[in-house]
Amino acid sequence: MRSIDIHAHSTPQCFQRAVLSGNDWHGMTTADGELFNPRNAWTPEQRIADMNSLGVDIQVVSTNAGFYQYDKDVAVTTAIARDCNDEIYQMTMDYPDRLAGLANIPMQDASAAIAELDRAVNQLGMKGAMIGDQVNGKTFDEPEFLPIWQAAEQMGAVIFIHQGGSTIGTKRQPRYHVRNTIGNLADRAVTFAAFTFGGVMDKCPDLKVLLAHGGGYACFGIGRMDRGWQVRSEARVNIDQPPSNYLNKFYYDCLTHSEPALRMLIDTVGIERIVLGTDWPADMKIDWPVSWVMGLQSLTLEEKEAILWKNLEEMLGL
Amino acid sequence: MRSIDIHAHVTPQSYIKAMKEGQVWHGVGPGPLDIEPQLEWTPEQRIKDMDSLGVDVQVASTGAQFYYYGGDAQVIAAMHRECNDEVYQMTIDHPDRFKGLAQIPMQNVDLAIAELDRCVNQLGMAGAMIDDKVNGKTFDEPEFLPLWKAAEQMGAVFLIHQGGGTLVAPRTRSYHLPNTIGNLVDRAVTFASFVMGGVMDACPDLKICLAHGGGYACYGVGRMDRSWDVGRLPQIPQPPSAYLSRFYYDCLTHSESALRMLIDMAGIDKVVFGTDWPFDMQIDWPVAWVLSLESLTQDEKEAILWKNMEKLLGMSSD
Repeated sequence: MRSIDIHAHSTPQCFQRAVLSGNDWHGMTTADGELFNPRNAWTPEQRIADMNSLGVDIQVVSTNAGFYQYDKDVAVTTAIARDCNDEIYQMTMDYPDRLAGLANIPMQDASAAIAELDRAVNQLGMKGAMIGDQVNGKTFDEPEFLPIWQAAEQMGAVIFIHQGGSTIGTKRQPRYHVRNTIGNLADRAVTFAAFTFGGVMDKCPDLKVLLAHGGGYACFGIGRMDRGWQVRSEARVNIDQPPSNYLNKFYYDCLTHSEPALRMLIDTVGIERIVLGTDWPADMKIDWPVSWVMGLQSLTLEEKEAILWKNLEEMLGL
Repeated sequence: MRSIDIHAHVTPQSYIKAMKEGQVWHGVGPGPLDIEPQLEWTPEQRIKDMDSLGVDVQVASTGAQFYYYGGDAQVIAAMHRECNDEVYQMTIDHPDRFKGLAQIPMQNVDLAIAELDRCVNQLGMAGAMIDDKVNGKTFDEPEFLPLWKAAEQMGAVFLIHQGGGTLVAPRTRSYHLPNTIGNLVDRAVTFASFVMGGVMDACPDLKICLAHGGGYACYGVGRMDRSWDVGRLPQIPQPPSAYLSRFYYDCLTHSESALRMLIDMAGIDKVVFGTDWPFDMQIDWPVAWVLSLESLTQDEKEAILWKNMEKLLGMSSD
């Protein structure tokens, strides 16, 4: 039994060294980088000791979403992304059996994003990139992003979708952590819809899009999206099939915090589409992720193995 | 076998008449009448359609476009009285076929309570239909507590139903997503606001029915529970999932697996029949749809179609 976690974050040490000694880092400060969580300060060695304790063999590491910085000048965002990616690359070089990487890319400029994705994947051996659900208010059905999807498809790069900044719902209800507990899942449903209704999944049949947090509300809410497609012409402008037919074109991590939700996800999208994702080291992570998956009574052993490592091994060629 | 539909809308005849004659109606218009043709039907035509659909009783609510919470409270209170008087007349003319849900001017809690009291205690209505928010405020705001207390004492039911822009609209207006995802996000945020704001603890007998199956509340509650587990919701004594069974939900999921999950999580005694008549997002043949669901027992189908509503509304079964 192995385990590969695709949803695990890092706050770059180069950032920490700069801001903790009183300097800014590409305009970022101690207010960024989730430094309130002591685990974000851990060295790769401490991280691996924790992985050993949790039973996680491999983390596919991404920087925390605070490092997207899509609203900055593209040169600044590109410099941030390169520094992040170089540091994760070094981690994967130092611990090739334990760590793999997902890149940061400057999504506000498609050419720059493609160039950094190409460098990260083809020169640094990273597995793809983690990106937000939106780029300065734009969703991923916007034509300006299509070259990125086509480039990623050609490289075989995974696009891991993970919210950054303000989520849907935050403005109406700023209290009770709703921005995270509902907002993350609403953001993911809209991103599923933007890719699907926008026709991206038809144009890029081999694009690997992995939706974090179990794809949010996409799977549970698909019936109403199908009804919308049936009765509204504006829902059919780009696609000839109902959105439910696209559920199994995506990948999903298992981060549902709910056995019945995970069971429904498996039954709806297919077991081969679900991978282990823990959100290490955030407080909203799965505490003992391997133990949690192994303890789920409604899953067969084969399903558990598919989620814990087999699907990711195949997807990432590990 | 009976059937009682809690989610069915009305457009006031007085409004239709005013628009057709180019008149102003409580500050609205003059303007074009742009409504579904069925909304111009007389109560008698409506009953013929109910006969064809196999719906015995509609608990009719004036449509969400008539909330007008942004308007002057006195003007809108008068508008709502006229809406409610029309629905009342339907229930008097056809007492076996119609019950009513009121419009109440939520922008002024005193006026809202007064109109709710008139509708419930003088006109025999079941309660009121209200939006997910009032001019940007959610229902955990202390100013609304007197309304919940008054409704609890009256035994009035609130049907929660979005009006105007949902939370998805600022992110995307494409593909009908403000409705197909937005309605369901709005409802999850309202569930969270009532629960995490302590309203359900303060008003243990308050009857709230969340339209559209409660949106994403049931599927997404695991992540809300995690938030409670890590100490982010200290103000409530139980995790959010413990409150699922405190609400009622209509069956308008457009998905058998979603409805099944709702039943399993909230309890079959909490799910009622709701169709969204006569809009394009309605359940087309709602009684037939419920009866055809293979994963529901006959007892569960009868509970949804009429038994739960009879109990909720205190209606006699013979």
